[in-house]
Amino acid sequence: MKENAASTVVFILLLFLNTNLLNGQSPPGKPEIFKCRSPEKETFTCWWKPGADGRLPTNYTLTYRKEGETFTHECPDYKTGGPNSCYFNKKHTSIWTIYIITVNATNQMGSSSSDPRYVDVTYIVEPDPPVNLTLELKQPEDSKPYLWIKWFPPTLVDVRSGWLTLQYEIRLKPEKAAEWETHFAGQQTQFKILSLYPGQKYLVQVHCKPDHGFWSEWSPESSIQIPNDFSMKDATVWIFVAVLSAVICLIMVWAVALKGYSMVTCILPPVPGPKIKGFDTHLLEKGKSEELLSALGCQDFPPTSDCEDLLVEFLEVDDSEGQQLMPAHSKEHPGQGVRPTHLDPDSDSGRGSCDSPSLLSEKCDEPRANPSKFHTPEGLEKAEKPETNVTQPQDPQSTSVEGKIPSFHASGSQSSTWPLLQPPSLPYPRSSYHSVADVCKLGLGTAGAASALLDETDTHALKPSQTIETGGEGKAAEHRESESFRSKTDRDAARLLPQDKSPSISARPLEYVEIHKVSKDGALALLAKPNENSGWAERTSTPESSKEYSKVSRVMDNNILVLVQARRARDLAPLEEPAKEAPPSVPQNPAEVDLASFPAAPSNCRLQLGGLDYLHPTGFMHSFQ
Amino acid sequence: MDSKGSSQKAGSLLLLLLLVSNLLLCKSVASLPICPSGAVNCQVSLRDLFDRAVILSHYIHNLSSEMFNEFDKRYAQGRGFITKAINSCHTSSLSTPEDKEQAQQVHHEVLLSMILGVLRSWNDPLYHLVTEVRGMQEAPDAILSRAIEIEEQNKRLLEGMEKIVGQVHPGVKENEVYSVWSGLPSLQMADEDTRLFAFYNLLHCLRRDSHKIDSYLKLLKCRIIYDSNC
Repeated sequence: MKENAASTVVFILLLFLNTNLLNGQSPPGKPEIFKCRSPEKETFTCWWKPGADGRLPTNYTLTYRKEGETFTHECPDYKTGGPNSCYFNKKHTSIWTIYIITVNATNQMGSSSSDPRYVDVTYIVEPDPPVNLTLELKQPEDSKPYLWIKWFPPTLVDVRSGWLTLQYEIRLKPEKAAEWETHFAGQQTQFKILSLYPGQKYLVQVHCKPDHGFWSEWSPESSIQIPNDFSMKDATVWIFVAVLSAVICLIMVWAVALKGYSMVTCILPPVPGPKIKGFDTHLLEKGKSEELLSALGCQDFPPTSDCEDLLVEFLEVDDSEGQQLMPAHSKEHPGQGVRPTHLDPDSDSGRGSCDSPSLLSEKCDEPRANPSKFHTPEGLEKAEKPETNVTQPQDPQSTSVEGKIPSFHASGSQSSTWPLLQPPSLPYPRSSYHSVADVCKLGLGTAGAASALLDETDTHALKPSQTIETGGEGKAAEHRESESFRSKTDRDAARLLPQDKSPSISARPLEYVEIHKVSKDGALALLAKPNENSGWAERTSTPESSKEYSKVSRVMDNNILVLVQARRARDLAPLEEPAKEAPPSVPQNPAEVDLASFPAAPSNCRLQLGGLDYLHPTGFMHSFQ
Repeated sequence: MDSKGSSQKAGSLLLLLLLVSNLLLCKSVASLPICPSGAVNCQVSLRDLFDRAVILSHYIHNLSSEMFNEFDKRYAQGRGFITKAINSCHTSSLSTPEDKEQAQQVHHEVLLSMILGVLRSWNDPLYHLVTEVRGMQEAPDAILSRAIEIEEQNKRLLEGMEKIVGQVHPGVKENEVYSVWSGLPSLQMADEDTRLFAFYNLLHCLRRDSHKIDSYLKLLKCRIIYDSNC
């Protein structure tokens, strides 16, 4: 029986439930009070969210209980706050009291209650936005123009009695801008904006916050158009600025006018022009071209100074009169005063033809050695001591370069003159001529050191070379030179070394230079002759058309060699040998080395040569002796 | 020499005079004379007193609010303390106005005495609060530092209020009415839950009462100083 009854009840319940479910009707879902707010700390409103209504008309009631009271009240006003809300007016609102509020949802099927919400009006104050936002552009006479923003507190809030204290914040932006510019205004109900862009339309908003509450919503936007002529600065400021700049400009113009040249010189130092050693500009000015040219030994005018200088230096190994080849080692070009002393009007002393670019030609298309190389001669020259006897240099050089250029001392006096040009990697310490050629050769692989050097000497290294000539190059210079070259020319050295190491003198890389021209007295102007790479052995690259003076026919004036044509290869070999054997004789015949024996330029180093060859002076000396 | 000595004496005397006068002047700036109520020239000092009092009360309520929020976040989550913290403040025995109308109907002298009563009621609890928070395990510095600050500022506010009362309502010897706080044993309970609730309740009541005092003072200020036209 009991079982039957129980089962019957269950059955009925299930039936009931099914029926209801089939209808889709159910008790209401649980509502939820989601917000309670007081706009002025005198009233408040609560809103709830209904749950599922179970497809039945649902009735919502709000009940509450106050702290300190025992009975439950119902919401006094469901309407004022909108749907699903309860509005508590002043009479029903107590501050500093906790309200326990509950919403009940009831429908035909059942009812449900929300969770109780504990509300204290003290802490839910959120006012309405301020009202009557006005914008006004003010442009007073004696002050900057500004935008004056004014507003009023929200109507409901009682600020006058001090029940609520409001603080305001405004924000503005140009219409098209993306970001708002916010300003805190404190408790005042006005604000001045000073920085505005003319021609823009500005939007302004304001909101407020009670002393212990939440910020209100932003008020509706107010807009204002700033006129284009809204000047933000005083005219006087502009006038002052204009006057000041005018004064400054005047001062600058005056300064430039007075010191223009020196300033320009300071900023853009003049490019030093080429100085020709021994080229007396005074002579030029005076128009004594003949004298000048003869002094230079040029057949043509204008002279090409570069080759001239270098050639001259190489050639001038006058020692007897104690002529100092450029004793001054200083950076400056040797004064013209020095030059003229060496100038011999007869100038058969092989002052190279001025129109032969010779080794100094820039046409050498070797890759230039890097600047350090270029500067080494200068550096060297700087380091060198000016003291110089032509006779001197030999020993210091030999000793200094001993480690590096073992055979350096072999060449005669002339070798001492150009240690600068001696590439350290080259073991043979040829005469400076040779060294120049060697350098040039080395320059093949290393960007035309020789040409570089020569070029260097061209412009103003001639002086240094002169100083070198004097034999002043000290050990330091030598070392420096050698080191700098060494690093650069190792490869070349390696290449050239095999030749150098050959014991025979013939292995010494004699370089042929072309004789550029022969003066009327038979003085030779020598040019470095371009050779092929393996120039040593060949020595045949002289163009057929070029005349080759390779045999000394006589010596003139004790300082001029007269050369005649001869077969180069043959002649040189014997010349070389005696040169090597006669180191001691070198110092004795410095005068005989008037001819510049430029080493033949490496082939790549397309030095402009006139098809003449220079002979190695050592060979000459020997033959003379 | 004699004239020189006398001139020196005169100089030093002058210096001394100058010094004394400076001191007197400084002193006079610092301390304003107490004036009877209603005297026009006293409004300035009363205004200053009220301004300072309002600043203090505002500051104390901010600290209390922060302290309560900090405690609620750290210790009271999910414990439902709020349900138990109904009608549990010791100052509820002091009948104070519960809304604006009631407050505006109260005479300012009465309101002042009410304020004083509430302030006095909190002397003891604040002292013990500091002691007990220090003794809490992992004494939270945010709560402790604020408790210490509130205690000190409360004393200062009390002094200021007494000065205001002295000016607004001079001569009346008011009986010092205040509520006695008996929550100390709860704060020292061994049971953590009970103890935490005791703290929660205390902080909750402090937050409320400091807000009450702040509101009353602002009402009084606007009423007395600005004639209800803030």
